[in-house]
Amino acid sequence: MKRAPWLVAAGAVAGFLGVVGLHKTAAPAALASQGTQPVGQAGHNSQRGPARQAGRRSSPGAATVTTLGAVQRYGYGELAARVSIRGGRITGITVPVLRTAEQYSQQLAVQVIPTLRSEVLAAQGTRINAVSGATYTSQAYALSVQAALDKAHFR
Amino acid sequence: MSASRVAFGGPKSPAGRKRRLARSPAAPRPHPALAGLALLAAGAGLGATLAATITSQPASQLSARGGLLTYAGSLTGMIGTYLALIMVLLVSRIPFVERVAGLDGLLRVHRAVAPWPISLLAAHALLLTLGYAEAARAGVWREAGVLLTRYPDVLTATIGLAVMCLIGIISVRAVRRRLRRETWWLVHLWMYLALAISFAHVIVLGPAFVGHPLTQVVWSVAWAATAGLVLCYRFGLPAVRSLRHRLTVAEVRQEGPGVVSVICTGRRLDRLAVSGGQFFCWRFLTRGMWWQAHPYSLSALPQPPYLRLTVKAVGDHSAALASLRPGTPVAIEGPYGAFTRYVQRRPRALLVAAGIGVTALRSLLEDLPRGSAPVVLLRASQPADLVLSTEVRELVRHRRGTIHELVGSRGEAAIDEVSLPRLVPDLAQRDVYVCGPEGFVASIADTARNLGIPEEAIHHEAFAL
Repeated sequence: MKRAPWLVAAGAVAGFLGVVGLHKTAAPAALASQGTQPVGQAGHNSQRGPARQAGRRSSPGAATVTTLGAVQRYGYGELAARVSIRGGRITGITVPVLRTAEQYSQQLAVQVIPTLRSEVLAAQGTRINAVSGATYTSQAYALSVQAALDKAHFR
Repeated sequence: MSASRVAFGGPKSPAGRKRRLARSPAAPRPHPALAGLALLAAGAGLGATLAATITSQPASQLSARGGLLTYAGSLTGMIGTYLALIMVLLVSRIPFVERVAGLDGLLRVHRAVAPWPISLLAAHALLLTLGYAEAARAGVWREAGVLLTRYPDVLTATIGLAVMCLIGIISVRAVRRRLRRETWWLVHLWMYLALAISFAHVIVLGPAFVGHPLTQVVWSVAWAATAGLVLCYRFGLPAVRSLRHRLTVAEVRQEGPGVVSVICTGRRLDRLAVSGGQFFCWRFLTRGMWWQAHPYSLSALPQPPYLRLTVKAVGDHSAALASLRPGTPVAIEGPYGAFTRYVQRRPRALLVAAGIGVTALRSLLEDLPRGSAPVVLLRASQPADLVLSTEVRELVRHRRGTIHELVGSRGEAAIDEVSLPRLVPDLAQRDVYVCGPEGFVASIADTARNLGIPEEAIHHEAFAL
């Protein structure tokens, strides 16, 4: 059949546009709203380790600058990180926006965000390792933190 | 004997005995528009898969560490899996598609597409392992270990991929030639298993599926429907046909050097819809043969209660047919093939066959109407190889056609750009049907093309399936 490639191509264009259109109209509902919950702000993790160290080293009088990174969508949801900087050091990171597609991704994100947070605090930047089993979440976290750092003109 | 039929004669009705031959119904007419719709749907699925993958992964991810690799990895995975679905559909013998493209045509496409899903899926595994390793700043082997042990369903999918790669390797022409057809075919069937055990990780981990219940449902339904089509048309329908007609071997008859006709008897063959030029996959239910089905053309339209195939011994299976005992049960899959009168585009037909290719030509000829004046060219290297030529001559005479028997070496009895127009002066008004060994079919098709016959008026059926 001579027309075969054309039929396949026409179908492909139609299918592509159809799904993109469907995605545009359905996008807001696509993420089951797990609520906007701050992660990594409260809890024992935030007051320990590198954060406190950083706090000690910084000059006592310096003001804290807080910036919110852009909302990063990733394969299984979206998140945004807020970064606090004092005296040229990252002193705290929270995740005020975390919406995931389903419960498992939510649990995974909540589990790995503290790890990612301490990695950023230790590295004082986003040269961090993704957490195995949560590559996409790690990537989105690093991107949003970097956006917040850029906003604060950090380094 | 009705004027347009020639009896091949079952054991109880010697050839030539005058009796009215019942006509089994012709196979349903192919509808190219339906096959066109199928192509459109296949394209739409490809586009939709691409779009679902792209929209589920924001472009910003590309700038993340390892982002480019993971993005490419998920894209190759989705397209590869979709093509795997198409590969299964291509061999699922969906009747309305098969009637237009023919099983042999579909298998050609299946073979041409085959390298793509396998290499895309291998790339998918490789790219994601590299991407995840880069994101985690871990060693590739360490990350591979993490993927296999910590991610759900990735281990089974990896086993599935290994099986697919193995099948890919044994299907490469150079390797396949060294294997027995039966060995290759049995290993090839593991593909269904490989696909089944790889299914879960796509739904559980694919960014296009996690949190997209609609995509999950559509994808699952597409695969379930494909599995259903395979079960229905590859296994169910042949089983029903075989049970309905209950064919058994009635007689094995020597037709020429190394050529035998197997005449089967069956019930209700007047209800078996088949067109001239079509073939069945035959499974002779006897020791050592029951597990393999081989494609052979009918060498005549059914003459209830008889059905005849004529086979030249070229392999283990075809050679074993000579020793079939009367009474052996026979299971059939088919009829298949688009080498029928339905594909004729021009007023008349030229039928060319070499060697045992005469079988499909003979049954096709039977389907051509009286007065259709076909030209038939039979080519053989020695006179004894012109099997069934008496029957063919008779059929041609009934249709007021012309027959040329070309016997000799390829040099002596060549069919080329010089000899063909001389043998068939009105070639420009004829469709060309060619049947025979692959090389012969290709050379005749080339000759016809060089003589200005359009592609859609050239129809061929080569032996090697």
